[in-house]
Amino acid sequence: MQRLFKNARFAGVLLLALLLSACARSPVLLETTKASLTPQTELSQVPFYAQTEYQCGPATLAMVLNHQGVDTSVEQLIPQVFLPGRDGSVQPEMLATVRRYKQLAIPIRGTMDALLSHLEAGDPVVVMQNLALPAFPMWHYAVAIGFDLPNETLILRSGEIERHTMSFSRFDATWARTGRWGFVVSEPGTLPDGVTARNALEAISAYEEIHGPQAALSSWQILVERHPSNAMAQFALGNALYAEGEADGAKQAFKQATVLEPSMGAAWLNLAIMQLQQQNSDEAREALIQAAALEGEWQLRAQQLLDEI
Amino acid sequence: MKTLRAYLSTLLIAALVITSLPVAAAPIAPQSMDLVTTQSALAGDRAGADRERINNVLARADVQEQLLKQGVDLNEVEARVAALSDAEAQQMADQLEQLPAGAGVIGVLFAVFVILLITDILGLTDVYPFTR
Repeated sequence: MQRLFKNARFAGVLLLALLLSACARSPVLLETTKASLTPQTELSQVPFYAQTEYQCGPATLAMVLNHQGVDTSVEQLIPQVFLPGRDGSVQPEMLATVRRYKQLAIPIRGTMDALLSHLEAGDPVVVMQNLALPAFPMWHYAVAIGFDLPNETLILRSGEIERHTMSFSRFDATWARTGRWGFVVSEPGTLPDGVTARNALEAISAYEEIHGPQAALSSWQILVERHPSNAMAQFALGNALYAEGEADGAKQAFKQATVLEPSMGAAWLNLAIMQLQQQNSDEAREALIQAAALEGEWQLRAQQLLDEI
Repeated sequence: MKTLRAYLSTLLIAALVITSLPVAAAPIAPQSMDLVTTQSALAGDRAGADRERINNVLARADVQEQLLKQGVDLNEVEARVAALSDAEAQQMADQLEQLPAGAGVIGVLFAVFVILLITDILGLTDVYPFTR
């Protein structure tokens, strides 16, 4: 019995050691990133509002929104994003609230490299951390505003601390527990450097859902400029131009989408519908044949339209 | 609230069935000339448009109900639900209870205090800044 206990204790210590060493992986910062970044960056012009009680969500939003020149305050944001029953704020509402203030909220790639690159480009990043352990989580939002590469520290506006410095490894451990979640905020019609095409697409699409295609048009244009070979961006631009009444531009964008990605049924279908509206039945038939040949959710509608011509 | 939801879904299904009836009765009726939206193209191969619409309306009703239950002010609820994209509304409806809610630094139990103190010293957590 005594031995069993000893073995169990030994196993426990071993397990704990294993767990801890598993967590304590050193943060991955690519050598190329290290070489390309300036040693120190600090966006000291980002305002600071200390959180009260559980209000780190509204406080971080007030900091980044005011930094963008948006007129709002912690008091105004509390009823918009805070969940009294959960004593906190949830991620979808953090993004949605930014959009209410007519700004884009774009999730970043979850790596230290991406985070530091955004900071160097001048964009503060809202990050979500779990300051404690997975078993007793302490979820927290903070604004990353800078870094010190030689000292390997990150600088944050966090909780009640205006300038919280934290080692890369400690920060990354707390950040990893949220799946390295974070986002940057930008004015529609501009895109922060370094965001992925997919994340930008989804952010602009969500913005368009609330504010309409006209308000999203300039963002689609800059996205197409930044990622000229992205078929979905062309497609989205086509829809926004169509809503704006610019039929020729819209048709051109849909066409470009089919050139970039010939298997995109939705682009063929929209191109065909526009040709039909302009009474170009030959061109419409051509596009419909393409759309009807592609398996997927647009196939049926394309076939029906083709039968009607 | 549950019954409201039941009524709402019945009503929605009925409305959608009725609006789609003329198409079924007269298959030669002209097709809608609406373009495929960016949002539905991004959603990829999700289920048919009608089912999607029902789901979205129900999800939003669901989120509204849950937000009220969580103590959100009645005057704010509608605007908050309206600000969500369809995907976010769906996520909130499905898993609001499980979503982490960022709250910040708050008091913890003593047993946990000791554990977190150790992990803080080891550089794994950031609960007590005085450890550095």
